[in-house]
Amino acid sequence: MPKKTKKQTKKEPEKPAKKHVFKKPMLFVAGFAILNVIMYLAIGKFWIGGSSFLPMVGQLGPESKFLFAFIVNIGVIIGALIGAITSGEFNFRMPKKELLPSAIFGGILIGIGVTLAPGTCTTSFVTGMPMLSVSSFLSAAGIFIGAFIVYKLTMGGAKK
Amino acid sequence: MNFAALLFIGLLFGAGFGYFVQRAGLCFAHGMGEIFIGKGKRIIRLFLVIFILTSIGFLVSGYINPALGLKTIGQIRGYGFYNLLAGMFFGAGIFWNGGCILGTLRQMGEGNMHFLVAFISFTPGMALVVYLLNPILEHGYAVQNILLPGLLGVAAPFVTGVLVAGSAIWLYFVMKKKA
Repeated sequence: MPKKTKKQTKKEPEKPAKKHVFKKPMLFVAGFAILNVIMYLAIGKFWIGGSSFLPMVGQLGPESKFLFAFIVNIGVIIGALIGAITSGEFNFRMPKKELLPSAIFGGILIGIGVTLAPGTCTTSFVTGMPMLSVSSFLSAAGIFIGAFIVYKLTMGGAKK
Repeated sequence: MNFAALLFIGLLFGAGFGYFVQRAGLCFAHGMGEIFIGKGKRIIRLFLVIFILTSIGFLVSGYINPALGLKTIGQIRGYGFYNLLAGMFFGAGIFWNGGCILGTLRQMGEGNMHFLVAFISFTPGMALVVYLLNPILEHGYAVQNILLPGLLGVAAPFVTGVLVAGSAIWLYFVMKKKA
């Protein structure tokens, strides 16, 4: 009997889906934006995405600026880990075999995109457009077109 | 400031960025997916908040320290053709992968190793361009560094002011619809 109750109690606690990620996301993105400006004011550097990964192919950039950006993005992973652990959202998952090709193919396309024209990535949305950099507006338009093509090829096609 | 100290400060700022991004659940790849299926209010709100605050901050930075202010990000290559093309590659990549740069880093921190595979897969793509395509292309395309105020021939505070005001109005209506 006690074994049964143990089994029952083990099955019972189905954790309710945590909704707090979406509760105050605007405040957190405001924090991100303000921190980006503070970093610029404090040390004259801002968050960049794509070019920061060039040290992975041996390019450190002038005055090692890509290396600095790479370290900032290592910090992003650490910060996300801290955020996930403190909010109970950390969940270690190995990649699914069937999704590996999309991760690899997507990753290669991202690698091509970020190096073909520097500043062509998430940087456009969070740093480049607020800087009023024309290249970032062009890149953002390209990003929408590229994403829309893949959407039509994959999800858009699936709808039909 | 020596470089090691600068790297350490960068790591701390990065951790701050990562914490905020994780708590906000920010990912532009997911956001674009939401826009394409007609449910893009959330990502539009988040983008507008980032745009308004950062635009004001970057503009004001130039008055606090003249060495700062507005700067070009990346370059216009081939009169914009390569920016559009690179953007299309990047957009296709993030949609296929399921995460933008911030989204990929965030989800790695959350323990999703799918994004570690994607992250490592950046390398062959970058190596292809850096060591094969760029040496060929670099001699053939024009490189320009242009800011929007320069292109329009209008003072930066006016351009930022108009864009921020427009964004604030847009944000107001998106928030109003939400309420």
